[in-house]
Amino acid sequence: MIEANVRVQVGEFRLSAELKGDGMICLAGKNGTGKTTLLRAIAGFLPIAEGYVRVGGTDITESSVEERDVILVTPSTCFPHLGVDSHIMWGARSKGLRPQKEAVLKVKSELGIDYLGTVGNLSRGMRQRVALATALLSSPRAILVDEAFLGLNDREAFVSAFGKLAKQASVDVIFSSQDEADGKLADYLYVLDNGLAKSKQREANS
Amino acid sequence: MNWLRLISVASLLLLLVPIFVVLYYGLGPFRDAAGFSFQVLRSIELTLFSSALAVVADFVLFTPLAYYLARGNDRITESLVDIPVSVPHPIIGVALLILDSPVTPTGQFLLGLHINFYNTILGLVTALVIMSAPIYVKSMEPYFESKDPSPEEFAMGMGASRLRTLYSIVLPNSYDGLSSASLISMSRALSEFGSISIIAFYVLQFPFYGVSPASVTIYEFFSGNISGGLNAAVTASAAMILVAIPITLAGHMVRRRAGR
Repeated sequence: MIEANVRVQVGEFRLSAELKGDGMICLAGKNGTGKTTLLRAIAGFLPIAEGYVRVGGTDITESSVEERDVILVTPSTCFPHLGVDSHIMWGARSKGLRPQKEAVLKVKSELGIDYLGTVGNLSRGMRQRVALATALLSSPRAILVDEAFLGLNDREAFVSAFGKLAKQASVDVIFSSQDEADGKLADYLYVLDNGLAKSKQREANS
Repeated sequence: MNWLRLISVASLLLLLVPIFVVLYYGLGPFRDAAGFSFQVLRSIELTLFSSALAVVADFVLFTPLAYYLARGNDRITESLVDIPVSVPHPIIGVALLILDSPVTPTGQFLLGLHINFYNTILGLVTALVIMSAPIYVKSMEPYFESKDPSPEEFAMGMGASRLRTLYSIVLPNSYDGLSSASLISMSRALSEFGSISIIAFYVLQFPFYGVSPASVTIYEFFSGNISGGLNAAVTASAAMILVAIPITLAGHMVRRRAGR
């Protein structure tokens, strides 16, 4: 369960948002409405002027980025110098985890990762798949996907497969999108409107 | 008529006049065999060796500082980095001399550990590190700033510290920036005179026993302390320029290729 009730100020831009949910949460809004600001605040990269962030019942408002166990994935997130397998295992290894081989193969298969070369040589879409697999296998509390689902082939099938794997691993996911219709891929839909209004919740699949 | 271009080229030529003068006279009318002597070659060798060591030290000791400045907002530290190159360079030589003098507590402590700066390779390299590190930091800092922070933030989200992120994620993807900064700071080290003429006028250690750095040797020719006079000084200067220019140009070419 992710709970966030935050007020954040970045320059002249003020964001006030409230969000609560588990599983797959879609954060929709047009450009400049504060989606990235909210995700960066939850991940700990922006200071929260007022409010709190709780993940899995633990208050992480004051925690450092490294301690939060919340991973932010963007379209340009990857380690280009690593091989695919080293990349996928990087987060797990750095946390001292040893995912079973079957689990790794399952994640690769479900997310359509069938390449063994260097990540820097992959297409943008494949890099995003590798980054998301890396995040998933490091078993965090939550993964924040900032428009990293955009531009993927078979996007709906991929998001569905990713959401399923995340639920099996008990990892909550918030993904941002400019299209409210993406709410159908999530358990919850929140719509941000110019960052000043409190976000509105709708039951996505009802 | 592109006046901006004309003025720019004229001002550049003004900067390069001393280099052209030394190359022309050193390799032409004033050419003197003493300027290409074994002594000069050894001094150039010492200069290249000590400058290369200084750059290695810059990389090891000051890359974290450059990264810290790039990703933090520490204006005070940023200003302090410039101090060593903004004071007259002999001051650094004098400071190292005092730091390591047997009449000061620090000197007694360092000498007790057999750390001696005076006329040693260690002293020479230490002075060169102090004089080249600010250039290295100021070259790496904008390079780090220009890099997309997303991969670093991704690594930190997976629990990696800033330092681990630097070594395992940032540096393996920074060869162009590191090469450029290293070559530019090495150019700076090659050109140093003020501080090393005090702390390491010559080196009294194997394998450079009695060898002076190139800039000091040129000064020695000019001042008449070693035979050769002005002609040898100009010739040795030209030789040093021929060694230094490719390193400087390579540094700038790598930097341009890195997209800065």
